[in-house]
Amino acid sequence: MGLFDTVRDVLGLSAEADATRPADPEDFFQLNAASVTMEADLDYRPADRAGLCLSAMDSTDFRSTLRDVEDVLEGGGFSEIRTDDHGYTWAVVERDDITDLTTELYVAADTLADRGYGDRLLAAVFPFDPLDGGRPIYWIYSFKRGSFYPFAPAGDHERDSSTEVTLQSVLDGELDVEPDTAYWYSLWPDAPGGHPWE
Amino acid sequence: MQWHTDWGLRARMVLTMVLLLVLYLVFAGALVLYLGGGLLLMGLFIGGFSIVQYFFSDRLTLWSMGAREVTEDEYPHLHGTVGRLAQGADLPKPDIAVVDSRVPNAFATGRSKNHAAVCVTTGLLETLNDEELAGVLAHELAHVKHRDMAVMTVASFLSTIAFVIVRWGWLFGGGRNRNQNSAPIWVAIVVSLVVWIVSYLLIRALSRYREYAADRGGALICGNPAALASALLKIDGRMDRVPTEDMREQAEMNAFFIIPLSGGTITKLFSTHPSTEKRVERLRALEREMETRTSA
Repeated sequence: MGLFDTVRDVLGLSAEADATRPADPEDFFQLNAASVTMEADLDYRPADRAGLCLSAMDSTDFRSTLRDVEDVLEGGGFSEIRTDDHGYTWAVVERDDITDLTTELYVAADTLADRGYGDRLLAAVFPFDPLDGGRPIYWIYSFKRGSFYPFAPAGDHERDSSTEVTLQSVLDGELDVEPDTAYWYSLWPDAPGGHPWE
Repeated sequence: MQWHTDWGLRARMVLTMVLLLVLYLVFAGALVLYLGGGLLLMGLFIGGFSIVQYFFSDRLTLWSMGAREVTEDEYPHLHGTVGRLAQGADLPKPDIAVVDSRVPNAFATGRSKNHAAVCVTTGLLETLNDEELAGVLAHELAHVKHRDMAVMTVASFLSTIAFVIVRWGWLFGGGRNRNQNSAPIWVAIVVSLVVWIVSYLLIRALSRYREYAADRGGALICGNPAALASALLKIDGRMDRVPTEDMREQAEMNAFFIIPLSGGTITKLFSTHPSTEKRVERLRALEREMETRTSA
């Protein structure tokens, strides 16, 4: 935290500035290579779905932009736009291959950024299934941080932090992993057991 | 997305802070001249107290309000919303506490982004819908982001010293009459009284500007200024109808609440918060800006 940031905080400017900071979705593509390591070293295979979480804005133009995103995602396979219990919007896509998933979410995020709504992007969530079955873990890309963090749900609202630390130590280098665990936000699903967007 | 910058608010915030700083520098200089040794003792005492307050502000405030920290299992919805808002604001998720009170209100506390807590009353959870609640929580996160607790603690430090001199200054005067270099203690008391009154007004003004900044930041974090405006109006309306004994208990916490509890006739100058009408007016302007904006 530099002096400039502190001054911005104290003058009451930082909430507005950080809430409106644009995003760079190109980082998603780091996952293409990382998924090979995930399978070879850790026995996790990318799931066939991924979700983009965004904080909706109360305006007509934003809603029309969302329809554009819906159009862009259509055709390549299953996709949907949904709203969770907290009022956050999710763009969910289903594709067989991790490179297709990262590409589709990149296109969705880029469409929003092009229309000036890059700052509304919150997170991109990529589930990975263990090869021997069991609960999926997630690599979550946090737009405001510009980095990935692991999310391993254990109970309804508990996290398996030892798995998360393992994921971090093995994948750090291939992915830009958020070093400060205070920014490893939980994204719980509305109903226990599902993916964060469910 | 770029928004029309509120330069007026920024200028007033900076001006208030500069005035406070100048006042404090002059006051500190005068103190050294008049009080000498006694000052050191008092400075240490109040300084120590302020440091304790600074480091334990989150726990102290929660404790004094009768707030209880709640887990993810108890309040999953509240946790989920705060987590998402924090992620959008680029803040670590703060602790969450709930006060069992029918007065609908919320406040944020804590010395830094990593040691912060957001607190809501059960009355607030009952009164607001999900969007309005998100608006209020975003406003509180903006306070955390702007380090309001630390800023106001620092801003109040010398004001507290001035108050102590006004109240207890005669004690310092008694034993020091023989010292030829020191002026009569009543001079110090009068100077302190002036400093205390002026700094009090400046601190209140600063507090009001910081509320506007938190409203604006909060509205952009949640993306829905109208929901925050509607929450402010709802809370304001409900205030008049809740039993007053609840209110009196909490009145000293006013500066930290989203809407202060009104206790009779408070003039605008003495108020920690701008009037709800003015805040709603500014949020509506932001909402209009959001709606009329079309993408390139």
